[in-house]
Amino acid sequence: MIDIHDLHKFYQIGPIEMEILKGVNLKVDKGEFLSIVGTSGCGKSTLMNIMGLLDVASTGSYFLEGRDVSQFSDRKQSATRNQKIGFVFQHFYLLSKLAAVENVALPLTYRGFGDKERRQRSVRMLEKVGMEHRQHHRPTELSGGEQQRVAIARAFVGNPSIILADEPTGALDTRVGQEIMNLFLRLNEEEGVTVIIITHDPGIARQCKRAVRMTDGLLRDELF
Amino acid sequence: MIVKANIKEAMRSLLAAKQRTLLALIGIFVGIGSVIAMVSVGTIVQNEALRQFREMGTDILTIGREFGGGSQSRQDEISLDDALEIPTYCRQISAVAPYASSFGKYKYEGKKWDAPVLGVTESFLDLNKLTLREGRFISDLDHRSYFCVAGDAMGKKLRSLGVKHIIGTQIFFSEKLFTIVGIIENAPMGGMRPYEINDSVMVPLPISQRLSQGGKIQNIIGRIRPGGDHVVATTEVKNYFKKMVRGMAVRIRSAEEIIAQMQKQMRLFTILLGAIGSISLIVGGVGVMNVMLVSVAERKKEIGIRRALGAQRGDIQLQFIVESIMLCMVGGLLGIGLGIGASYGISIFSKWSFSLSYHAILLGVIVSAAVGIFFGFYPARQASRLNPIDALRSE
Repeated sequence: MIDIHDLHKFYQIGPIEMEILKGVNLKVDKGEFLSIVGTSGCGKSTLMNIMGLLDVASTGSYFLEGRDVSQFSDRKQSATRNQKIGFVFQHFYLLSKLAAVENVALPLTYRGFGDKERRQRSVRMLEKVGMEHRQHHRPTELSGGEQQRVAIARAFVGNPSIILADEPTGALDTRVGQEIMNLFLRLNEEEGVTVIIITHDPGIARQCKRAVRMTDGLLRDELF
Repeated sequence: MIVKANIKEAMRSLLAAKQRTLLALIGIFVGIGSVIAMVSVGTIVQNEALRQFREMGTDILTIGREFGGGSQSRQDEISLDDALEIPTYCRQISAVAPYASSFGKYKYEGKKWDAPVLGVTESFLDLNKLTLREGRFISDLDHRSYFCVAGDAMGKKLRSLGVKHIIGTQIFFSEKLFTIVGIIENAPMGGMRPYEINDSVMVPLPISQRLSQGGKIQNIIGRIRPGGDHVVATTEVKNYFKKMVRGMAVRIRSAEEIIAQMQKQMRLFTILLGAIGSISLIVGGVGVMNVMLVSVAERKKEIGIRRALGAQRGDIQLQFIVESIMLCMVGGLLGIGLGIGASYGISIFSKWSFSLSYHAILLGVIVSAAVGIFFGFYPARQASRLNPIDALRSE
């Protein structure tokens, strides 16, 4: 499913060139539940951006479902992102002007789905995360945990190949955070979607079936 | 369908930032209002000017003596017979009314005043589409009689001098005693009637030619026969004068020709007015662009989220252009109302007849949308070019 080989990423900051990723190698199979652990600044967010096609690697190869996506144009990146990738962010990133069900439907809008179809799929997804009773509420009316559920529904609604979650429990308390992790595990089982969680919290990493540690721009050990 | 979603989103965004939206709206409202008011007034003025010409009919020609070179004749005058022969020799002309216009001294019971005089034939009444209020008009049988017909203002003047029955009253003109046999209803000057009928007294043309203060025939009004062509008629009359009236050169103006010229000029005038009105519209458009740029700056994170969800650059651009168009169309529709209202007010005040010009409305709608697209384009492009990762990190 994901095959990353010798990925390097450089950033130019003024006269200085910084190498953030120094030759990352990673293979992920379909349906895996993986966490990428590392301290802040180690490059895990950069790797996530590249995996999510929000950014492009400087050198190296990235094969997604057998296709070399490393040098995709912006247009192709956006299309692939829309169809294959679902994001979940630490701070939920829902649009405050839209109701929950409309937030969930947003990726489908960019795929050109009709009104009725969008609504049906969104409501179905909200049911799966246990939020369909609050579908008409705006994000400001929802708690942190509820908002993250809606965000997860949004990530899953388009039947993506991978879910990339960047510190999904970071803004939630322990109990709620655990509920969210349970939700991820359940959806990973039920939908068979590959889930990759980026975190600095070893407690979270321990709940995943597989974990890799990122240190200084390189993926080193596989934990347990 | 994606456009419908965009429209709904756009309305929501605009309503969420009411103050900003309202301020930009005012600019477009005034701008479109100005353009519509100007174009509408221009059209109304155009119609008003043409109405005067059309009143006399578009089948009218005026024939006049050509001055300056080109004539081989030594005689100055068109004779009455020359004029009356025109329908015989020119098949396009069905009737003629030659006239002589002049100025002279009137006297009634000791009171003296100066006023115009017109020497006319019987056909003058019909060709000028005048109506009699009382009595009768000059007849061709009056050619030796000192009868006259008073214009409306002249009639009022006599009444103010104490005359009870105008018909039958006798007044002096050019030292000769005339009897009034009729009064004409009010007839405005202008267009193809370059003489002041209301202030005048009309006398038989042969009489006026013999008076010391009477006039010579300088002009002839002619009517083109039904179904005739004004270009052919013009040629016929010119040839008639050249061949039959001692090689005389004449200048002919046809109502149709003048109307066409006037319409062309007025159209340019209306365009000019519209252009002037556009200046305020440009200012309004810049206001819209400003508001949209602020909107984009404030919503960077939203743009980042949408891009992360798979929105293309074009999707983001479309979103903001639609918002800009919506803003301008709402302001534009209100502006059309303002413009039409203003032109209505102006036409009431100036006593012109108001007409709703549909092409002004269409112009308003199209221009609103165009302003939205043009002034929204730059902000929309800026929005679409944001780097998603940086955008997500905003705020």
